[in-house]
Formats: sequence, C-alpha cells, structure tokens
Amino acid sequence: MMFVHFAVRNIRAYRNRSLVTILLLALTTTMLVFATAFMDGSHAKMLSNAVEIYPGYIQITHRDFRDKPSLDNLIFDTGSVRRVVATTPGIAAFAPRFESFVLFAGDAKAVGGMLTGIEPAAEKKLSRLAASLTRGAYLEEGDGNRLYLGYELARRLKVEVGERLSFVGTGVDSSFAADTLVVKGIFNTGLFDFDATAAFVDKGYFDRIMMAENHATHFIVLPADPREADPVAADLNSRLGPDYLAESWRTTMEGLVQAMLVDSIFGYLTLAVIFIVIFFVVLIYTWLTVFARMREIGVLRAVGTRPGQILRMLVAESMLLALGSVVLGGIIGGVLAWYFHHHPICFSFSEEQFKQYGLAASSMPTAFAPLVILRDMAVMFVLAVGSTLYPIVKANRVRPIEAIHHV
Amino acid sequence: MTHLKRLTAAIFCLLWTASTAVATPSVDDIVKRVEANLSGETAFMRLTMVVRTKRGKRTMKMESWAKGRDRSFIRITYPGKDSGITFLKIDNAMWQYVPRIEKTIKIPASMMLQSWMGSDFTNDDLVRESSISEDYHAALAGENETEYLLDLHPREEAPVVWGRIRMHVSKEYLLPARVSYYDEEGRLVRVLDYLEVKPFGERHYPTRWRMLPQSLDREGHLTEVIIEHAVFDAEIDEAYFTKRALKRFSQ
Repeated sequence: MMFVHFAVRNIRAYRNRSLVTILLLALTTTMLVFATAFMDGSHAKMLSNAVEIYPGYIQITHRDFRDKPSLDNLIFDTGSVRRVVATTPGIAAFAPRFESFVLFAGDAKAVGGMLTGIEPAAEKKLSRLAASLTRGAYLEEGDGNRLYLGYELARRLKVEVGERLSFVGTGVDSSFAADTLVVKGIFNTGLFDFDATAAFVDKGYFDRIMMAENHATHFIVLPADPREADPVAADLNSRLGPDYLAESWRTTMEGLVQAMLVDSIFGYLTLAVIFIVIFFVVLIYTWLTVFARMREIGVLRAVGTRPGQILRMLVAESMLLALGSVVLGGIIGGVLAWYFHHHPICFSFSEEQFKQYGLAASSMPTAFAPLVILRDMAVMFVLAVGSTLYPIVKANRVRPIEAIHHV
Repeated sequence: MTHLKRLTAAIFCLLWTASTAVATPSVDDIVKRVEANLSGETAFMRLTMVVRTKRGKRTMKMESWAKGRDRSFIRITYPGKDSGITFLKIDNAMWQYVPRIEKTIKIPASMMLQSWMGSDFTNDDLVRESSISEDYHAALAGENETEYLLDLHPREEAPVVWGRIRMHVSKEYLLPARVSYYDEEGRLVRVLDYLEVKPFGERHYPTRWRMLPQSLDREGHLTEVIIEHAVFDAEIDEAYFTKRALKRFSQ
C-alpha cells in the first residue's frame, strides 16, 4: 500500500510528465477501441447487407443443385418441403423462389437477366426487396404479369412504371416460355449487379408460364434468431432427409465470409504495427522520464531503500498511469463507438467504389460491444505496463553513487 | 539391266509419291470441304429435334432454309405451343420472332452461350459453327483407313468459346463423323456425332446428329437432330433472309 502512496505522490509531483503519458496512452487506447469497433461494425454491416437484401440466412435446395444448378436438380415438391419447414422450431418465416435466366426485351434492346417467381407477402419478411422500392409499387399475390425490377435493368431496357416489356426463356419442361410483362415497380437495393439483372413476378403467374407448378429452385428460411442460422440449418437437414440440403449464409456466401476474414486479418496486422510503434514510443518516453529521476532513485538507494522496493514503486506508478489512461481512452473510444453505432459514418464520396465491390451501403455503423472494449483496454494496459518494465529495471540496476551523480 | 531396274523403280517411286500428294488434300482443304459439304450452296431441310433429359423427352419439328454458310432461317412447326417461332441468322447476328409476344428480338452477345430452344445446342452453335475454317487453325493429328483426325485450335483474337476442337472426318464423304469440344482448360465439354449418312441427289449428308454434353450440370442430357427431308442447291427466295421474314414467314 505504501508503494501505491509513493506512486500517487510521484505522479502528482511530476504532473507534466504524467499528463503527457496519460494523453499518449489514452489517445492510443481510443484509437484501438474505435478502430476495432469500426472494423467489426463495417464487416457486420457488409455481411448483413449481403445476406438480408436477397440471399437470406438459410437456403434449402435439392442436394445437387449447388454443384449442378440445372432444371434436373430443382425442388420438385415444394409442398413437402413447406410442411417440414413449417413444423421446424426456431423459424420466423420462409418461402420458395424460382429463379430462371431469361432474355428481357424492351422496345429499344434486349438484355439477359434473372426472372424470379416469389411469394410477395412472405418475401417482405425474408428480404429487403419490398423496402428497396423507389418507384411504382411492390408486388402482391395475384399480380399476374406485373413485374418488379431493378433500377439499372429498367434503365438498360429503357422502361418505366406502367410500360411493357417481354421476356423469353425456358420452362421447366424445357419448352419455350415467353410473355409480355408490365412494370409495376422499380427497386434499388444498392447492390449494383443485382439491380442490373434481377426482376420479380408473383410465383403463381411464374409457375403457369414456366410450367413450374409446385417447383422451386430454392427456399429461403429466416431463423427467429439469425445468430442461430447454423443450428437451425442442421435441424432442417435432419428433418428434410437426404434429397435436400439446408445451408446457412456462412456456406452459401462463403466467398464473402472469407473476404471479411482476410480483411480482418489485415486490419489486425495494421493494428499490430501500430502497437509496436506505440510500445517503443512509450518505452522511450518512460526511459527518458525514469532516467530524468535518476538522482532521486540514487538518493532513495543511499538512504537504504532496497532495489525491490524502488522497482515496486516505479511499477506501481506505471500501472496507475496505464490504468488511468486506458480507462480514459476506453471511455472516449466507447462513447465514439456507441455514437457512430447509432449514427453511422457515411462515405457518400466513395459510393462508386462501394458499388464496384457489390456493397449496398456507403454508411457504416461501428460495433458497440462492451466486452470487446474491455478486451482492448486490457491489451493496452498490458502493452503500456510492459513497455515501461525495461527502463525501470535498467534504472534500478545503476549503483547509488552513480545515480546520485547522474546528470 | 540392273541400271534399268533401278531407273524403273525410281520412276515408279516418283509417280507413286506424286499421285499420293495429289490424292491427299491439305488439312485446310479438308476443313473447307467439310464445311462446304455440310452447308451446300443452298439447303432446305425438315428436321425433328429430340431433347432428352433426366426428366423426360421433348420433340420439336422445324423447317430450315440456308444460303451459303452465313444466312439461315428456321421456323418451328411443332409443338403447337411453339409453332411459328422463327429465327434468322445473318453472319454473326441472330434474331428471333415470338408470335405470342409479337416481337422480334435480337439475341445479345451475352446470351449466345444459352441453350437454343431448351436443347444441348447453344445460340452460338447456330452462329459460329459455320466459321470453323476462319476461326481455327487445323492440324492433322492422325488418320486411319476411314477417317482423318483433325485438331483445331482457335486463331489469335478469334471470338470463339472453345479452347480446342477435335474432329473425326470421314474420308469417304469428307463429312464430320464426330466432333469433340474442349474448353480453355482442356476439359471435354460435349461430343457431337454425325450419323447415318444418306444420299440426297448427288450429295451425301449425315441425317442424325447426336449431341452428348459432358458437363456435370447436363448429366443425362442428349439432343438428337434427325434430318427427315433435305433439298440442296435449289433456288431459295432471298426474302427469307431479311428481318421482315421473321414475322412474314412465321405462319
């Protein structure tokens, strides 16, 4: 306790040096907390965007569809899949979809794209299609040949709400399918490629025109708790049997998950470099402050204070300064993380780059996770105290007479 | 006497070599004659196309008019649901007319690799098949008593999709017997067999074409084209090879 008392006295006595140390460490703690919150938050946002806009948390397909996505590997009995999913616990919503590659033809030109039959009401809960409406109206059951398409596809085909276009494609029986469609609504999800190719019709109409009655390319399932996507998918697999495959977004969007992981690794490597720099800055600064107090250490040794006692006093000083700094930095970083969690940072100036990477939003919220903030504070505390140990030990080994005469 | 024998043998050898050189066409000649034999000056055909998948069989009937290797017109006549759909190919461009939507659509380049009418043939097959001699370098990979074996590699900057084509050519008819298509990684993608060569006037022609895709996603698929009637080198109205023909000759 006596060492703590001396340490506090010394911190007060060397107020300017203490203040500089606290500011330096508090600033770096703030940086670490905020950088981690931003990295985690932006990754979570990118993933949730990518998953929730259209692909969904869980997809059910025929077991061979992912490797061989042909008309031979469809879900040929949506009724039976529907019954199983409906009785599986932990599921908030689900619906079948049928995706088909077709040729859209406006008056001006023809463009290849994906025509998908959806159940409009259920789809509202499963994806952000309805929420992405920009002009006209979203689909309803029984809409017939009314079309809901991406703004970029509409631009390429030069069609507006209320105008007509046609499509030609291949039905489930490999027959020729074609019809005239009327634009009901135009959406903008922000996923550029998706908005440039995707168009939707009511599945009832799609089934009639494509001979797809009771068929689907896949089901989308929304778990009651999206974090439970993996166990719910495993449960579905055990109930659906070997003909079908339920996969969570971690598998269906493996590429994006891997990309985020690589990005995180590079993020932490960058932080590690910053830490090394901080470590040496604190070490050098502590070196200077400890050696500036060499005469004091020499006098203490001359009056009989043992090296161990001086070591404990200096370490206590270091720990108190580090503790104060990381608490201050943690609070500031935490407040920033909390604020930008509720008021996301907007990168409107780099919207084009975001589009190139297929990212939906240029506004990124930070993650606000108290446990992660405490972890970062602990890391900074260890780093700060660790960087002072060498100068302290080194100064403590100097003989008293040399220390007294130290200039 | 010995000198005379040697001289006779030498002359015989020279004559034999010369006659062989005259009888064996060059590889480029083989490819060009194969193309000419497949297309003719003009051709009118009635065809049946049978598409088999794991899920069943689908039959289509159609009529085709072609002039040279660059222009052709196809009209679907069966089944009734698809009857009247027409296709026009001029050089490397392709249009289709669909009576149900009363619209003529130019097939964009991005759709060229899509299936044609749900079969194992692609739109690109209809457009590109005719320009093998222009788009590929041919080399003789082997030969036996009945067939030449040709390897075709794309010329630099040729707008083609295949990394290599291997063609078995019948020596008797100078017609393809089997064509194997490989992608750029050297994987076999599909095999097209030309079977049952029959005479049509002075011309011989394979009357059964069998396309067997090798890719995983088309496992169990097979498309057969059966030529039921063909007339070669007869007069064909130029009106078939205009965009107006798509609607005009739809019915």
